[in-house]
Amino acid sequence: MWSFYIEQLIHSLPFFLKGLWMTIAVSGLSLLAGTAIGFIWGILRASRSRFVKPLIGAWVDVVRGTPFLVQVFIIFFLLPEFGIQLEAFPAAVIALTNLAACFICEIVAAGIQAVPSGQMEAATSTGLNALQQLRYVILPQSMRIILPPLVGQFVLLIKDSSVVSAIGVMDVTRVGWLTVQRVPQGLLVFGLVAVLYFVICYPLIRISNSMEKRMSAGVTLNKM
Amino acid sequence: MIEFRDVHKWFGELHVLKGINLKVDPAEVLVVCGPSGSGKSTLIRCINRLEPIQKGALIVDTMKVHESKTNMTRLRAEIGFVFQQFNLYPHMTALQNVTLAPMKVRKTAKKEAEDQGRYVLEKVGLGDKLHQYPAQLSGGQQQRVAIARGLCMRPKIMLFDEPTSALDPEMINEVLEVMRNLAREGMTMIVVTHEMGFAREVAHRVAFMDFGELMEIAPPREFFAHPKSERTKLFLSKILTH
Ligand SMILES: Nc1ncnc2c1ncn2[C@@H]1O[C@H](COP(=O)(O)OP(=O)(O)OP(=O)(O)O)[C@@H](O)[C@H]1O
Ligand SMILES: [Mg+2]
Repeated sequence: MWSFYIEQLIHSLPFFLKGLWMTIAVSGLSLLAGTAIGFIWGILRASRSRFVKPLIGAWVDVVRGTPFLVQVFIIFFLLPEFGIQLEAFPAAVIALTNLAACFICEIVAAGIQAVPSGQMEAATSTGLNALQQLRYVILPQSMRIILPPLVGQFVLLIKDSSVVSAIGVMDVTRVGWLTVQRVPQGLLVFGLVAVLYFVICYPLIRISNSMEKRMSAGVTLNKM
Repeated sequence: MIEFRDVHKWFGELHVLKGINLKVDPAEVLVVCGPSGSGKSTLIRCINRLEPIQKGALIVDTMKVHESKTNMTRLRAEIGFVFQQFNLYPHMTALQNVTLAPMKVRKTAKKEAEDQGRYVLEKVGLGDKLHQYPAQLSGGQQQRVAIARGLCMRPKIMLFDEPTSALDPEMINEVLEVMRNLAREGMTMIVVTHEMGFAREVAHRVAFMDFGELMEIAPPREFFAHPKSERTKLFLSKILTH
């Protein structure tokens, strides 16, 4: 019996690989765009700007305070009401990009604020402008604080990407749903789904861990 | 060179500078002392607008610091600032610390900036520490790198905010020595410090600050021999017995 199911599963392996590719495409695009936007938002959020800062803060709170599934539904089903019709794929990428940007924004802002204020004062007093201060003095120091949780966040977001299967994106999770209707062995099918996610996430987990170790070692070596 | 005219500064409700009037001439060395919380740091931080002032006029090298439209980036390049806590960039070597601003602000070519950086670091006695990171240097060495960082911009004014207070006693002198040399070369300096030996020997005038006011300002000999106000006397008796 088992061997029969396994054989069927092997037959649908190309289908799974397509799903895996879709998961990588959705998460990859979203993480790239989300990281870029998240850094910009995070820098603004850590700045002194009176106007943009609370705006970003409020948006981040709204996004973090609502289920991702609901956000995906809003973008896919509700935006058309306002004349914005999106395919499932761009809708998924937009939703996940926004989610990524919000989480990354918080990580980046925290990393910037962790740099002692004397660093900014020293840079200011030598005549560096705000952008130069950020680029040469603040960000290089913040990166050590930002990188480990950033990579950790990537892992969470890749797993969150499974939610977009709900609007019909053919990612690994959706392939699992469709397969289990032909191969009624939930454990086997979703075991395979889990393995495929793990294959993407595990290297990232390792990277994050080793960065964290390197960083805590570096702190003692490189005290202010 | 530096002129305060009835300068007031508030932190929220707290009135920190209460009508400061002060003129510092080119090549003058002014030492400022006074009890903790009296506003000494705030006074010199206003000069390059690390802190904005709320009332009065503050003119530095013909530029009006009190006017919000004044291009501070340009003025700051002319003013070196040395902090109590050094505030060196921990991810850069000594040489990188001192060449960053010349390269990015003055647009000096890297080679030239490094030559100058080497020269200035040698001048403060750190010619052999060019490629060390701040964490590998002692407190006194770090503070000398911080002074070199200011000097590499070829400033017209150097401001010092308790540059030796965070140092172990045996390192204080190496830093004061660098400052003495600077004064001798004719640098305009305002030094917040409680090193009264330095004040006596190097300062042209010594000022006593208390509760946000300049209580007394006089040449060192007069200042130490015949302090006018009771509070100056009290303060001096406290720190000179140390
Ligand atoms: N950023 C700030 N926000 C609010 N209050 C401040 C700030 N900086 C300084 N103060 C307050 O302003 C007053 C003057 O501070 P300042 O640092 O100028 O004193 P100081 O004479 O340098 O003292 P110290 O010898 O301890 O360095 C103090 O009461 C201080 O608590
Ligand atoms: Mg102070």
